[in-house]
Amino acid sequence: MTLIVAVSLPLVAALLCWVRPLRSIAWGTTVFCLSISFAASVMTAGQVLRGGRAVAIPGWIEVDGLGSLALLLVTFVCTLAAIFAGGYMRHGGQSSERLWWFYSNSNLLVFALAVVPALASPNLVWVGVELVTLFATLLVAFESNAGALEAAWKMAILTIMGAPISLLGFLVLYWAFHSSGGGTAETWASLSAMASTMPPNLLKFAFLLVFVGFGAKSGLAPMHTWLPDAHSQAPTPVCAVLSGIKTTIPLYVILRFLSIILASPEARIGNWMVVIGLFSVGIAAFLLIQVRDYKRMFAFSTVEHMGIILVAAGFATHEADYGAVSQMLNHSITKSLCFYVAGMVLLTLGTRQISEVRGLVRTAPFVGGALLLCSLAIAGAPPFPIFLSEFSILSAGLRSGHNVAVAILATLIVIAFVAIMRHVNGMLFGKPESTAPVERVPPSSRTAVLLAAVPVAVLGVYIPGPVHSLLQLAAEQLGGH
Amino acid sequence: MTRTILYNLIQLLFVLGFAPLYAGVLSRFKEIIQSKRGPSIFQPYRDLWKLFHKDEVVSSETTWIFRVTPYLVFVVPLFVASLIPVLTDYPLAFAFMGDMLAGGFFLGLGGFFAALAAVDTGNPYGPMGASRTRMVGFLAEPVFIIVFFTVSFVAQSTIPYIVQQKWVASPAAFFSPAHILLLIAFLMLILAEGGRIPVDNPSGHFELAMIDESKGLEYSGRGAALMNWGGQMKFLVLTCIFLNVLLAPWGLAGDVEPGHVLLAIPLILFKILLFTIVLVTIESSLAKLRLFRISEFLGAAFIISVAAMIASIFSASAA
Amino acid sequence: MASAQTQLIEGLNALSAGLILLTAFGMVATRQVQGVMRFFVVQSLFLSASAFLIGFSRNSIHLLALGIITIAAKVIAIPWVLKRTLPGDLYERREINQVINIPSSLLIALLLAIAAEFLVSPLLAITPDPVIHVNLPIGLAGILIGAYSLIARREALPQMVGILAMENGAFFAGIAIAPDLPLIAELAIAIDVILIVVVIGVLTRNITQTIGTTEAASMSELREEPQP
Repeated sequence: MTLIVAVSLPLVAALLCWVRPLRSIAWGTTVFCLSISFAASVMTAGQVLRGGRAVAIPGWIEVDGLGSLALLLVTFVCTLAAIFAGGYMRHGGQSSERLWWFYSNSNLLVFALAVVPALASPNLVWVGVELVTLFATLLVAFESNAGALEAAWKMAILTIMGAPISLLGFLVLYWAFHSSGGGTAETWASLSAMASTMPPNLLKFAFLLVFVGFGAKSGLAPMHTWLPDAHSQAPTPVCAVLSGIKTTIPLYVILRFLSIILASPEARIGNWMVVIGLFSVGIAAFLLIQVRDYKRMFAFSTVEHMGIILVAAGFATHEADYGAVSQMLNHSITKSLCFYVAGMVLLTLGTRQISEVRGLVRTAPFVGGALLLCSLAIAGAPPFPIFLSEFSILSAGLRSGHNVAVAILATLIVIAFVAIMRHVNGMLFGKPESTAPVERVPPSSRTAVLLAAVPVAVLGVYIPGPVHSLLQLAAEQLGGH
Repeated sequence: MTRTILYNLIQLLFVLGFAPLYAGVLSRFKEIIQSKRGPSIFQPYRDLWKLFHKDEVVSSETTWIFRVTPYLVFVVPLFVASLIPVLTDYPLAFAFMGDMLAGGFFLGLGGFFAALAAVDTGNPYGPMGASRTRMVGFLAEPVFIIVFFTVSFVAQSTIPYIVQQKWVASPAAFFSPAHILLLIAFLMLILAEGGRIPVDNPSGHFELAMIDESKGLEYSGRGAALMNWGGQMKFLVLTCIFLNVLLAPWGLAGDVEPGHVLLAIPLILFKILLFTIVLVTIESSLAKLRLFRISEFLGAAFIISVAAMIASIFSASAA
Repeated sequence: MASAQTQLIEGLNALSAGLILLTAFGMVATRQVQGVMRFFVVQSLFLSASAFLIGFSRNSIHLLALGIITIAAKVIAIPWVLKRTLPGDLYERREINQVINIPSSLLIALLLAIAAEFLVSPLLAITPDPVIHVNLPIGLAGILIGAYSLIARREALPQMVGILAMENGAFFAGIAIAPDLPLIAELAIAIDVILIVVVIGVLTRNITQTIGTTEAASMSELREEPQP
């Protein structure tokens, strides 16, 4: 029941924002509904911890550990983004006539994001992921200037291009399921159960198609070229949602599929996943060195972390899977925080170029301090959570014998760290460039940043019991041995 | 034995006699579709008659090639006509004289001499048209060869009569993707070789734009009559190959009864009529391609024929 | 009796498969924006014909419904929606300078079709069903050729039609390998296709109004430009 509430409330909020009399309080409606949705997903997670899964409509809408983790992340990131958006969007000079459209669209995006982990049938999951892409594209194009439209167009073409490819992949999967005698309805669970009896050629072919189709949406290289543009041109709360959770959700679907393949003894693709993941991390690390726009910097960092998650899943051991899911969790909360801070920088100084920002600690101490902390967090420094999850991935890799991959991964992470800190250093310290008046950050945005910083600060040092159990449950779903 | 020789002669007379009628019907239909009245369908006969009764004017700069070519162009389609099924679906007396490749060579021979003759006169428009004709010809060659290869691969023979018997033996073969692709490729080939739109405008008078028509520019009197008649026969022969071998090998006489063979004549005329309607529709709805776009047109035909070949190879290996 | 009918249906299905491949080539080879649209509509017609044939031979209501949905969505609704939402001069455009010239594009399309056949042949060993043997390779070929025409085109409308053509290919393979997909999934997929068209149409309209042209090559401002 709580599951249905968690998933459907954003849709309700979207419809409410459409209704004419309620348009002026669109922001309030959104925050209200999304907070309740977040609470509902926490309760669902509790149900999963107690019983292993939470079922609303058997065979259609149900979640297990991995699904409820994803749902939790979706609602958390989106609620905070909604809170942040209140003051930010008003400052951006948008008239309230267009704002209701923004909130309605965002709610539709949240609905699509929430629906993906909650559905049990893979074909409907495909529909959900495509809806995510569509609504996200509309949101990226919100500001209607040339840069935003170009970014939205590139994103639309590159990500929607993968749609028919992955559709064929899912249809081949369906075929494999039914040709090996699966009489029941096709769900993730029944697919895993039947995995060893399905013809391995079909499974590999279907996985290849789904990987190519969804890999572009996750920002895996070499299909990542739309990501820096889209994630920097969109309005900041949208960027937070995009980087924080929207790239993770297709990766979630790929990882589910990967777990099915790993359950079949004859299809071996773990090493390919490691290679492709390392390729993404490498490209991101080197592109981070010469980036000029700090929002693009954070976007490249997303590419890097998606690659790390894929590498971890490719190691295919239980500890590596734990590392992968905890990296998903930590990346979502940290990356959304980074984008809130970047939005604050944009609001106060009005420029996106790194070279034009100097001496931020002096001109805007709150913003400067936040930028320093969140860059350290995303680059992977202790005592922040990403350090913990990356460390556990590296040690899991060493323990399972992938020494070369671990060495390359560690080097690339260090390169990315140095690149990010060099840029941020330049932005924070030094003489302030201009004496232009500095805008004040609206209170709703400050609140959102503070709220978002709490889990980032806490999870680096202490992982609460329920969170740890949820992560363990999720890791089991990934199927490593 | 004598019967088959007789039927062969009837076949040649058919091609000889009905080629101008075919051309006449084609131009009449085209005019009707364009809301004009058009000339009578027997007009090409009257033109041939008129031309035969006129004097010939031959330039003193020309050589024997110029004088020989009209006869060659006239005779070559008749040779090819005796190799292909026109009225009967069993091989006739001269059927094994040559196979499809030989037929292609013969047609090529006629075209070669026509091009040479066009250059022979020294008229500036002649070589221009001749070079364009050769360009279309060599672009169309690969298409023809691939079509020929595919068809004989499936039928395990290169004699047109035998190919016709085996090619569309079963409904499965008739509807196979290879068949439809091959039909489209060969249709494009006919349009190119016969000088129809979209490759060339058969009724245009503008010498700078002529491709196929330029070969008959310098001729007069009997030479012109033979060139025209030969061109019409060549187009009729290509149409018969398309219809009887590739598309619809029905309505042909199955046995040696003379009545059946004579009955096949109106049947094949009916098939040609249907094909004329299709051809006129194509001609009236497309525009003539610019010269360098012809390579794209024939490139597309080549790709389609290769796709047909691949499809037939795959279905043969899968079956 | 039944087998002659089955043979006829399989033959007609193979015919529509050949024609679908032909229209895929046509979409690569044509220059006009409107020509691409027309080839797409014809391709969707053949797709629904195949759906009707397979649905008829397997007595599957799902496939017959899918055929009707395809006609309603792709043959009627999508061209109508696009004509209404996009500015008229978008339709008269031609791509005079292509990235790769047409004969080479056709050659690449042919190679993709052959590659599709090779990719699929180990999978076909599982089943003797001739319909799957025809539909799966040509469906995958449709996807690959559509993806190629998407990459090689510069105008916005042919790019969108490329995506829809890829969808046609996926469907064409799907009706053979997954004929009993739950109707909900099929409806959802069909709605999704329409949404794709709407979104891209909205984007195209905005782009045309703001930037003035939808040539992708002219939209290249977002890059790591060296600062002066």
